[in-house]
Amino acid sequence: MWSTAAREALQPITCPFCGLLCDDLTLDTTDPAQPRLAGGCERARTESTRALTQASAHCLVDGAVVGLETALTRCAERLSQSQAPLLAGLATDVNGMRAALALADGCGATLDHMGGDALFRNLLVVQDGGWLTTTLTEARNRADLVLLVGTECHTRFPRLVERVLAPPEALFGEVAERHYVLLGPWSETAVPSDLPRDRTTVVEAPKDQLANLGSLLRGLVAGRPARADAIPAVDGAQLTALAEQLLQASYAVVVWSAGELAAPHAELEIQTWVELVRDLNETTRAAALPLAGTLGDITTNQVCTWQSGYPLRTSFQHAGPSYDPLLNRYQDLLAREEADCLLWIDAVSGEQSVPATSIPTLILGRADMSFERPPEVFIPVGVPGIHHPGHWYRSDAACPLPLGQLRDSDLPSVAQVLGQLLERLRAQA
Amino acid sequence: MLIKLSGGTLIDPANGIDGEVRDLYIHDGRILHEAPQGERPQKTYDLGGKLVMAGAIDLHTHIGGGKVNIARAMLPDDQRSHPRERTALTRSGGGHAAPSTLAAGYRYAEMGYTSCFEPAIIPTNARQAHMEMADTPMVDTGGYAMLGNDDLLLQLMSEGVSQEVINDYVAWTLHATQCIGIKTVNPGGISAFKFNARELDIDERHPHYPLRPRDIVRTLSRALAELGVPHPLHVHASNLGVPGNHSSTLATIEAAEGFPIHLTHIQFHAYGTEGDRKFSSAGAEIAEAVNHRKNVSIDVGQVMFGQTVTISGDTMHQHANRSHAHPRKWTCMDIECEAGCGVVPFRYKDKNFVNALQWAIGLELFLMVDDPWRVFLTTDHPNGAPFTSYPHLIRLLMDRTFRNEQLAQINPDAAAMSLLGSLERQYSLYEIAIMTRAAPARILGLADRGHLGAGARADITVYRPSDDAERMFGTPMLVFKDGQVVVEEGRITAPVKGSTQVIRPEYDRAIEQRIGKWLDRYHSIGMANFRISDEEMAEGIGSPVEIHACRPRSAA
Repeated sequence: MWSTAAREALQPITCPFCGLLCDDLTLDTTDPAQPRLAGGCERARTESTRALTQASAHCLVDGAVVGLETALTRCAERLSQSQAPLLAGLATDVNGMRAALALADGCGATLDHMGGDALFRNLLVVQDGGWLTTTLTEARNRADLVLLVGTECHTRFPRLVERVLAPPEALFGEVAERHYVLLGPWSETAVPSDLPRDRTTVVEAPKDQLANLGSLLRGLVAGRPARADAIPAVDGAQLTALAEQLLQASYAVVVWSAGELAAPHAELEIQTWVELVRDLNETTRAAALPLAGTLGDITTNQVCTWQSGYPLRTSFQHAGPSYDPLLNRYQDLLAREEADCLLWIDAVSGEQSVPATSIPTLILGRADMSFERPPEVFIPVGVPGIHHPGHWYRSDAACPLPLGQLRDSDLPSVAQVLGQLLERLRAQA
Repeated sequence: MLIKLSGGTLIDPANGIDGEVRDLYIHDGRILHEAPQGERPQKTYDLGGKLVMAGAIDLHTHIGGGKVNIARAMLPDDQRSHPRERTALTRSGGGHAAPSTLAAGYRYAEMGYTSCFEPAIIPTNARQAHMEMADTPMVDTGGYAMLGNDDLLLQLMSEGVSQEVINDYVAWTLHATQCIGIKTVNPGGISAFKFNARELDIDERHPHYPLRPRDIVRTLSRALAELGVPHPLHVHASNLGVPGNHSSTLATIEAAEGFPIHLTHIQFHAYGTEGDRKFSSAGAEIAEAVNHRKNVSIDVGQVMFGQTVTISGDTMHQHANRSHAHPRKWTCMDIECEAGCGVVPFRYKDKNFVNALQWAIGLELFLMVDDPWRVFLTTDHPNGAPFTSYPHLIRLLMDRTFRNEQLAQINPDAAAMSLLGSLERQYSLYEIAIMTRAAPARILGLADRGHLGAGARADITVYRPSDDAERMFGTPMLVFKDGQVVVEEGRITAPVKGSTQVIRPEYDRAIEQRIGKWLDRYHSIGMANFRISDEEMAEGIGSPVEIHACRPRSAA
């Protein structure tokens, strides 16, 4: 599926608005003037309707309407003057990121994603010790025990339960015998209604105790002389039972969303869950299912990794890439005034995502993007999967899917704009 | 534009030419032996005293796909210790064991390679593999799709469907994934590991399906033969790295029942259990079996000493090897009811008995398999060593004195247990050209490359002859890709992009209904998204396809 042609041929449609990348949606063209997505979740329908119906937008330079050529000229000037450009946001598709990398290598920029904090909570664990993970289809068919860490997985990934955790049927074992354990401050939050009550256990724990809980669970699973009631706010008997359940399970799946686990050094908490999974694999099978990918963090990180050899938070300021996940965090680069020009790319979220900064700011954003303060340059770009085709990675990083084009549009893609920008920079050099 | 290559010494085994001085012409990206009527060359290269070969072809190198990217992400030190700076022509990005796609393409071209094949593409990850290979400049690419641990094939076989149905599924997979061959990795074993099995021998029953690895090898090798796919089933056999695995390797050869079969990185599958340490070489037995069975081809997967990373679909054995990780980190992944992957960094040490013997076993296999058309030069990049060690490996094969000097450096107990010191064979340039050009082209069904005949694609490498084969093969004087000079004196002078080599066996489309229903019921990706179209390859992924011919299809 890759076409800029007839949208009727694009059924079913892939949704680009969360890391589950559901690919079973359809386009309802009953009213040809107002095509709508059908199926999918509420967020998919709302976001797609907004993107499908947005008014067209113009390029702006210093708040004034200009043509694309003028906007590109100003961007090229700024980037060629810049000693330390920052390419951030990076909510874009594979080809957008390919172009961003070529541009960064050409102009010496540093790269970070708007969701970099969450991304690196997982990546730091991978780089420290590795992990053992599974994918959506594998979990869907094989899990007999699901451990959900935190309270937001099912709201951040709306069809998680329906498509992965509790599907209508599975290849191995009975879905009707699958057990679910929810770890976190669940008393304040409704338990997902699509999970079976009788096979769902809530282990109440304050958010700031989740890391301790994981460590304690590791000790219990390993048969160490750990006191199950060591965490005052957590029921020790429940933990003892859970440890036994994990050891007895054929394929336990531990699920978290790093975006939710926002405590300082949450990577240490995540490492606890990773190590729990690896401990379990000494005698049985278990796997982690880290959820991510919603604004293209997995997509752009994959492309950055294969082209530069490093994940994001890589800088091309010198003759080649240099990687530092702590120093190259975009918020810190701006706060420390270590960047002198910001090129912010957000082709997906449509939120007010642009960081406040006094340095010259160039934005490639959705046509319906709003600003507190107009940037020096704004170039409206298409949403991948709505205005132009593209590729997007799912949460599990194993399955890039093609996104189709749902409507004709004169909005350029991020890849097109950045490609033209690089040509201009080369011509100036 | 007409280019003349004047007076070079041709080594072109596909056409039986061994050291003939002859002019070649390049026109429209193709090789000619005579200048077209009335045309004069616009450019002439005087190649007097130089050696001219077709561009080299690597038929087994892990250069693209999810597991390679996991290795990159997990090992930033591999990049830091091997930087590659940008130039006016080339992009930056380095790496050694898990190089960036850009570095891999540049380095392959600098070594005279013009085509590379990724041997382990998980069907749902095929897009990523092709995107990474599209971003691997300078070389044409292609891949082998992994089957034999996918629940659909195991289910179909368990139901006892006809071979014809299996053939249709295999052919559909080749179309859907834009691949040129089929690989099976630890047949049934990756799936068995998901059921917590830690080993699965060739005649052992799978814990869930009523099947043995032997059945999978036979069924898939037969399917490819009947579909007329030139490349035989590419087999990573059971029991990778396990002492005593030579018996299951021999049984795997038998399992093909005479159908063509390619055993990959066979060095890792040629271990006995003799000696005090219960680890010995079975190189002689394996080489003898290969010599006697003409349906068998192998690539070696030579080990070289130093830091690398092992990357494999074989989660069962990669998980078992986790305690050997150096540095101490490892990743395993179960993937989409299709397969899995395991990434374990590793340092081979010449003073370590096992590593030293692995090195010797690889060389024994190269030197004891008689027919260079059936043994291929690989390190199973990066599993035995990074591909950048090929020139060193070629010298080990061509220069016995050099080889014995190296043998004297390794763990003495390993040296004493190996036949290597007694092997006198030295490969000739002609034989090196067979195993790096002519034979890989032939076994993959690439009629347009791997040779210097009239009409061939003008992928050409020119070397300055040297007594030091490592130096000669490490920095060719000139490399032509599609008729254009892209490397001079070992440096990129023109960055180019390659295409994807595919094959399209015919099949009965009725199978698509069955696959579609299966995907709808159990998977998280629908049929429409599973399949990669030619348009997507060209426009979205960025590597247009070139279709190679199948042999006539034979009946099931």
